[in-house]
Amino acid sequence: MLIIKLWNYFRGYAIIKITGENAERLLNQAALKGIYLWDIKRIDDKTLTAGVDARCFFKLSRLARKTGCHLSILRRKGIFFMINMLRRRRALVAGALLFIASIYFLSSFIWSIDVVSQDPEIKKAVEDDLRRWGLKEGTFKYGLDKKQYMDKILQQHKEIAWGEIKIKGSKLVVELVKKKLPPELEENSPCDIIASKDGIIEEIIPFKGEALVKPGDTVCAGDVLITGRIVTKSDQKSELGQQDASDVLLVHARGIVKAKTWYQKAVSVPLVMEEKLPTGRVKKAYRLQLGKSTWSFQLGSVPFALYETETSAQARLLPESIGDVRFSVIYYREVQLKKKFIGVDKAAQEAEKQLLEQLKSLPEDIKITRKKMDFALDSDEKNVIGTLTLEVIEDIGKEQMIY
Amino acid sequence: MAGEIKKRISDALDLPGDIVLNLPRIVITAGISALIENHRGIVEYTSDIVRLNAGEGTLIIKGEGLLIKSLLADEVIIEGRIKSIEFEY
Repeated sequence: MLIIKLWNYFRGYAIIKITGENAERLLNQAALKGIYLWDIKRIDDKTLTAGVDARCFFKLSRLARKTGCHLSILRRKGIFFMINMLRRRRALVAGALLFIASIYFLSSFIWSIDVVSQDPEIKKAVEDDLRRWGLKEGTFKYGLDKKQYMDKILQQHKEIAWGEIKIKGSKLVVELVKKKLPPELEENSPCDIIASKDGIIEEIIPFKGEALVKPGDTVCAGDVLITGRIVTKSDQKSELGQQDASDVLLVHARGIVKAKTWYQKAVSVPLVMEEKLPTGRVKKAYRLQLGKSTWSFQLGSVPFALYETETSAQARLLPESIGDVRFSVIYYREVQLKKKFIGVDKAAQEAEKQLLEQLKSLPEDIKITRKKMDFALDSDEKNVIGTLTLEVIEDIGKEQMIY
Repeated sequence: MAGEIKKRISDALDLPGDIVLNLPRIVITAGISALIENHRGIVEYTSDIVRLNAGEGTLIIKGEGLLIKSLLADEVIIEGRIKSIEFEY
C-alpha cells in the first residue's frame, strides 16, 4: 500500500540479507514479536532478502542470533539515509540547487509575447508598438507596469474597445477586443442603386448620382439604375480603362426608381369537398391530474373509426393552497366523412376567396395597376385552378456599395 | 473435544468458520496473489513452494517465483505465479 510505503520511506528502512538454515523460524519469530517484514524473497537455499523498518532491525538482529541466522544490510533507504548520502555528495546537491535556481531565474523573464485579437492588423500594430515601448522578449516580468502599457495601447489604438495584459508563466498575453464599427454603408460611402427585381422602368428620379436607364427600359435584377460613379471630364469618348482615378467622382447615389413588376399567385380548389359531420355518438374518458402526473380512466377502447377529441376545461378538486388536483373529461365524438360536390362556380368562388387572402401578404407600398384572375379546370377535371396576375408599380431601387 | 463443540456451534448458528474456529481464510486474486489470514507460521519457504501451518494440517502453495509480499503475525500475502493450493493432513 502506498501509505505504508510512504511511512516506511520517512522512517527509513533497510533491505537485508538473511543467511541461515532456520530462516523460516526467524520469520515466524519476527512476525510474533511484531516486526513487520516485507518483500521476502528466496535467493538460494540459505539466503533470503527482505525489507525491514530501520528501528526494528536491531530487534531482528537479536532474534537472528537466537535462531542462528546471520543478518547483513544490503541497502539503506529512506529520507534520513538519503540526507546522509547527500551530505557526502555536496556537488550533486549544489548542482540540483543551481538547476532549480536557474529555472526560477529564467522563468522570471518574458520569453514570448502573444497578442490575441481577431483583427490581424491590430495584432501586428500592437506587437510593433509594444516592441517600440521596450516590452520585448527578455524583459524582467516582475514589477512590469501592465496598466501603463494597457493605457498606452488604448490611447494609441482608438479602435480597441477593451484589452488586458496577462502574464502566464514566461508568456505575455495581450488580449484585445476591437470596437464594433457602425454599419458599413454610411451616408458618404459611395454606392450605386441597383434593381432588386426584374421590371419595366416607369419613373426614375435621381437625387444624387447619374441615371443609367430611362422610363420604358426593361431591367433585370442586379442591373445598375443610378450610378454613384460620375465621370467629371466632359471628354467621355476616352475608353474606360484609360480614365484617371481623379476624373471619377464617387458619390452615394440616391433616388427613386419606380418600375412595373408582376406578381403571380395560384391556388387549386377541389370540386369535391370533404366535410366532417358529427354523428352524435360520444364516448367519455376521465383524466385525473395530480401535480405533474396524470392518470386517464376509460372503459374499453374508442369504438369509432373516425373521431375528434375534445377535452373539457379542467376543474380543480381541491383549493390551490392544499394541492394541485385537477379533473377533466375527454370526449371522443364520432364523425363521418361526407363528400360534397360543390360545382365549378362554387369552387371558383372559393379559389377567388383564397387568392384575395394571399394578396394581403404583398408589400404595402405598392400600387396595383392591373389585376387579372383566371379560373380553369385542371387536366383530370377534379380541381379548379385559380390564377391571379397582378401588375404593380413599386420602388425597385437597392443600394449597393462601390468597391 | 472443545474443537468439536465449537464446530457444532458454528454449524448451528451459521457462523463463519474462520472466526469461530480460528481457521485460515484464503483470498486468491487469479494466480498472482494469495492472502492468508489466521495462519500459524511459515514452515517452509522457497521460490517454488510455501508451506504454512494452518492449524489442522498444512497449507501448501506451489508456483514459480513466489515472494512473501508482507508478513504479519496472523496475515501473510504471497505473490508470484501460483499454480496450486493444497491441504495436507
